[in-house]
Amino acid sequence: MKIIVAIKQVPERDAPLRIASDAKGIEERELQWAMNEPDAYALEEALQLKEKHGGEVVIVSAGPERVGATIREALAKGADRGIHIVADDLAARDALGVAQLLAAAVKPESPDLVLTGLQSEDLGLGQTGVILAELLNLPHASLILQVEISSADSPQAQIKAKRELEEGWFQSIEMPTPAVLTIQSGGNKLRYATLMGIKRAKTKELRTLDATSLGAAAAPVAVLDKITLPQKKKSTQIIPGAAKEAAATLVEKLKSEARVL
Amino acid sequence: MSVLVILEERNGKISRTSWEAAAAAQQLAGTNPVIAAVLGAQTESLAAEAAAKPFAKVIRVEHALLAPYTPDAFTAALRQLIQKESPTHIVFPHTYQVRDYAPALATRMGQVLLGDVIAIEDGPVFTRQLMQGRLNGEYKHTGSGPCFVSVQAGAFRGSDDAGPQQTKAQIELFRPSLDPAQIRTKPGEPFRGSAQTVDLGSAQLIVSVGRGIREAENLPLVEELAKALGAELAASRPICDNGWLPMERQVGSSGQSVAPKLYLAVGISGAIQHLVGMKGSQCIVAINKDPDAPIFEVADYGIVGDLFEVVPALTEAIKAAR
Amino acid sequence: MTLPLPTLAEPDHFSLGEKLLFAALAAASLASFLRRFAPIVSRILHAKKDADFHLFPLGRRIWDFFWEVLCQAKVIRQRPLPGLAHALVFWAFCAFVVVTLNHCALVFGSGFLAPASAPGRAYSYFAALFALACAAGILGLFVRRFFLRPRWFGKDLSWESGLIALLIFALMVTYLAAFFAHGPLAVRSLWWAHTLTLLLFLPIIPHTKHLHLVLSPVTIFLSRGGFSRIPLLHGDEDFGLVAGKDLTQIAALQAYSCVECGRCTEHCPANNTGKTLNPKDVVLGLRAYLNALGPASEEPLLGRYNAQEAVFQCTTCGACEFQCPVGIEHLPLIVGLRRGAVNTGAWEDAHGAKFFLALEKGSNALGLPASEREKFIEKNALPLFDGTQEYCLWLGCMGGYDPRGREIVLALVKVLRYLKVSFGVLRKEKCTGDPVRRLGNDLLFQQLAESNLETLTSSKTKKIISICPHCVRTIQEDWKEFGLPPAVEHHSEFLARHLGVLKGHDFSRAESSQEGRVLQVPSLGPGKAQPSSEQKEETEKVVFHDPCYLGRYRNIYDEPRAVVSLAGELVEAPRHKERSFCCGAGGGLAFLGEEKGQRVSHARAAELAATGASVVAAACPFCNTMFRDALAAQGPGAPELVDIAQLAARGLPQNPASNQTENASA
Repeated sequence: MKIIVAIKQVPERDAPLRIASDAKGIEERELQWAMNEPDAYALEEALQLKEKHGGEVVIVSAGPERVGATIREALAKGADRGIHIVADDLAARDALGVAQLLAAAVKPESPDLVLTGLQSEDLGLGQTGVILAELLNLPHASLILQVEISSADSPQAQIKAKRELEEGWFQSIEMPTPAVLTIQSGGNKLRYATLMGIKRAKTKELRTLDATSLGAAAAPVAVLDKITLPQKKKSTQIIPGAAKEAAATLVEKLKSEARVL
Repeated sequence: MSVLVILEERNGKISRTSWEAAAAAQQLAGTNPVIAAVLGAQTESLAAEAAAKPFAKVIRVEHALLAPYTPDAFTAALRQLIQKESPTHIVFPHTYQVRDYAPALATRMGQVLLGDVIAIEDGPVFTRQLMQGRLNGEYKHTGSGPCFVSVQAGAFRGSDDAGPQQTKAQIELFRPSLDPAQIRTKPGEPFRGSAQTVDLGSAQLIVSVGRGIREAENLPLVEELAKALGAELAASRPICDNGWLPMERQVGSSGQSVAPKLYLAVGISGAIQHLVGMKGSQCIVAINKDPDAPIFEVADYGIVGDLFEVVPALTEAIKAAR
Repeated sequence: MTLPLPTLAEPDHFSLGEKLLFAALAAASLASFLRRFAPIVSRILHAKKDADFHLFPLGRRIWDFFWEVLCQAKVIRQRPLPGLAHALVFWAFCAFVVVTLNHCALVFGSGFLAPASAPGRAYSYFAALFALACAAGILGLFVRRFFLRPRWFGKDLSWESGLIALLIFALMVTYLAAFFAHGPLAVRSLWWAHTLTLLLFLPIIPHTKHLHLVLSPVTIFLSRGGFSRIPLLHGDEDFGLVAGKDLTQIAALQAYSCVECGRCTEHCPANNTGKTLNPKDVVLGLRAYLNALGPASEEPLLGRYNAQEAVFQCTTCGACEFQCPVGIEHLPLIVGLRRGAVNTGAWEDAHGAKFFLALEKGSNALGLPASEREKFIEKNALPLFDGTQEYCLWLGCMGGYDPRGREIVLALVKVLRYLKVSFGVLRKEKCTGDPVRRLGNDLLFQQLAESNLETLTSSKTKKIISICPHCVRTIQEDWKEFGLPPAVEHHSEFLARHLGVLKGHDFSRAESSQEGRVLQVPSLGPGKAQPSSEQKEETEKVVFHDPCYLGRYRNIYDEPRAVVSLAGELVEAPRHKERSFCCGAGGGLAFLGEEKGQRVSHARAAELAATGASVVAAACPFCNTMFRDALAAQGPGAPELVDIAQLAARGLPQNPASNQTENASA
């Protein structure tokens, strides 16, 4: 079966963040980039399905030139080939605008399954996969932890996926292929990058597509106007008072301030 | 010019996060009416519950195919409702279910969902977290269509009290036209994760105990606290080493990594091996005698004191608050 | 000649039949030897060439050969009594080379050591002395192996060892008896007995571990050198020791040289605490692989002949390699096997994968956000390195993130400030890659090393000081593959050099001239630390734990002891200096989750506590973190745990006036 994994490149988790002077983005100089971790879980699921059923894993990612490194990383972990949608204007597109690019690149591939991570670590929109399904007119399910495929080689291949619900509940969802699934982190153990993988990846196909060739971008509906620093800084509040008093204060703060109770 | 809020059910009642979404809807609407909608195969009691609130009206979106939930049925039904009511804004609680269909619904209507919003300012300007909470982004909705917004749990103060309103909101029934062929996914019955092994990794609340407890005989003290909170009990390595608690309850580099909403560290000094296993917790509370204990470096709240006094007091305070 | 001493008796002629018989037997013996030995040599020669092998310079090789082979230094040093017994046997064999040549030459009437001649007589007595010593030695070794039976020989008695001992003993006895033989028949019988023993002995050599007789001198001479030196990977298809085809000639030679003495097993922290790993079995497993599949095989090395689990239990403490008397370099083999498994993704370990992934994305081995390190620097007002200061203070993961490690760093900072030594810390620092290097992840190691080298180069760092021996080792040795690292030293070396100022707590004199500050390290013999008694009426007993990466890896033993002797009376643990027992953290094991069997750290902590010392001094933040829990498990009254930097900082005034001026001179 052919599985497409849509992957996003995001700033490294540890990266020091500086807001750009126009307050509409972050300073990209000195920033280091990495594969969005939820997408790494989607890739892992795809690789495991391929190991079980055979077929091909294709990576699709949109963004400027630097994104090539992240696609290479995915190839090093075992994906078969990559499609790089070269686009320098991602920040100017909203979730729909980005998904339109991906859909345009995915459609001609006629995949059996499209996987994405549940959400991105930078914008955290958590919508790309679902929008992609809508644009491709495919059934979808989100928050998927495990995927099983029956009669993988036939056109009647069926998906049975374990979906996470809230508060420790799960459910299983069945649907026909082709379909789109967004993968929840933690369902699989990720594999680490290896020297052998990196060397093998050098010879794998990485095709570039120019974003402008995939149709004009629609005017964004949701516009990021300004980036600010959150008010609250994490610092330790030492709660004073005798045991009883301190305990009462703590419970109140956990309820109203931290809102974890 | 109305605002539509979509209410969700939890355990037969309207969920807390739905009331928070209603509060956000109220803020967006200002003096304009807020319309609430409940979806399902049988929505009578939910609608009645909602009608006690100051909504302009409550709409029962009812169809046999709306239970159990499928994204296809919800998307189709709500699209018909929105076309009928033409609200300016549609507000959802940002739940797993909403994340599953609202982006598709917005797309189908040429819109984009402003998801996981934590604040709404005049404009309206919608604030959502970026870079995992390290930054905030202020978003604006442009264009002419309806604006889809989902709000983060806990970001708005919702209330399920009926309030001062005497008259009940009017309840309307809306039957969308749905075709079984439209529904492409087949959901199964919800089930619990396997309960045999302790899964600290997915626990929402954790009470963790360390060397400060001194003896195994003192453990019931923290067990009570965990029970009062409805939290899982965990421990640092020395406790499990001593066999006071099973190894599977160990948090840290040689045990499990956890990321609960609340991590309450009792008598744990905070060796690095422990810190790396719980640093991802949303809120960390430390109770320790030693004000210089490294655990206070990572804690959000700390009580410097004798755990044998603080823990029972805390157990009482929690019981009282519930 | 009127000496009452007996003369060695030799047959004076041999019949044609005897000559033919001898020739036939000798040929058979030699053939039998070669039949087994030739395939071994062939397997070694057909193994992959060692790409980074250089025969020159010869000086080291000649010295190693002289010291380790001819003088038997390692054999004796690590196990004095059995070592001496072995040396006696070895030296006797050397002495017997001439005897044996003469012995065989006699058959054909060309003996050159006529016992009656003065040189012949002298040599026969010289050889006889060795023969006596050798007989005694082999008897001792026999008793040890079959009656004392040390644990590391394994459960099964080695009958071939018994046979060999018997043959050696027979060789010596038949030689010595010839001094007392009377009558041609007795003389002739003894000659034949000696000869037959010899001809029997020869073919046994390649069949048994006594192959080391032939191979180990070569192995020692050709060893790659350098302690725990991890070889370069060559070309696009080299991922470490994946299959037989990856075993190099020297690795194969070493595998065949093992004498199964078990010194490596005896000192292995993993093996001593109930784990699967036995370094001897790693080497023998490779030998068994080569015997069964040969050097060109594609079958994975980890599997039938070596267990993956075992090689990932190694702490890379280096005790095995350090002790090995036949020149086997265990660490390149063990790390090589790990590389083979990790570089190809064959190693699947939940903790290991999580650890690698954390370092792929993050900056430190602990998986904490880099901002934590920044906060620490800010909070303690540590100066940033700007290229003008003398030292770049390398925090390392433990120093930058671990609360205990930070205390060590702050103690060192206090000393640096007191000494008015200018220093700064880097704004950005990544893990040196030590744990991933030892775990065999070459990709990640390269990324970390290159990233750090870039930072150091752009910051114009000339000299690094670090509290972590693992960082020191990795920066100095392992980074060389990717660039030129700055000079680096461990804080023990620095502190020892400034002992003169720190000694005596007489801080009024600390402001004196620069010359007074630098003192040479006082040389201290083992266990003979001299506390400066005039200041301390009651001195604390301090036991120093030698970190593997400072001791065996860097050969630093006296410097930290000199610092310890500042603060108290140095006592030694039973295993110390080059025989120090690991804390259990090395080789990336600190990050691999719970160990099987007893914890190495607990074994060592018990040993340290048993010295009766009230303080355990460590010089490595990893040892420190391992012992923290392990000492606490010793119960109440467990010794206090400190780093030598903390000992050095203890006596310094809290806020010396010089505190703020460290950059003034820069």
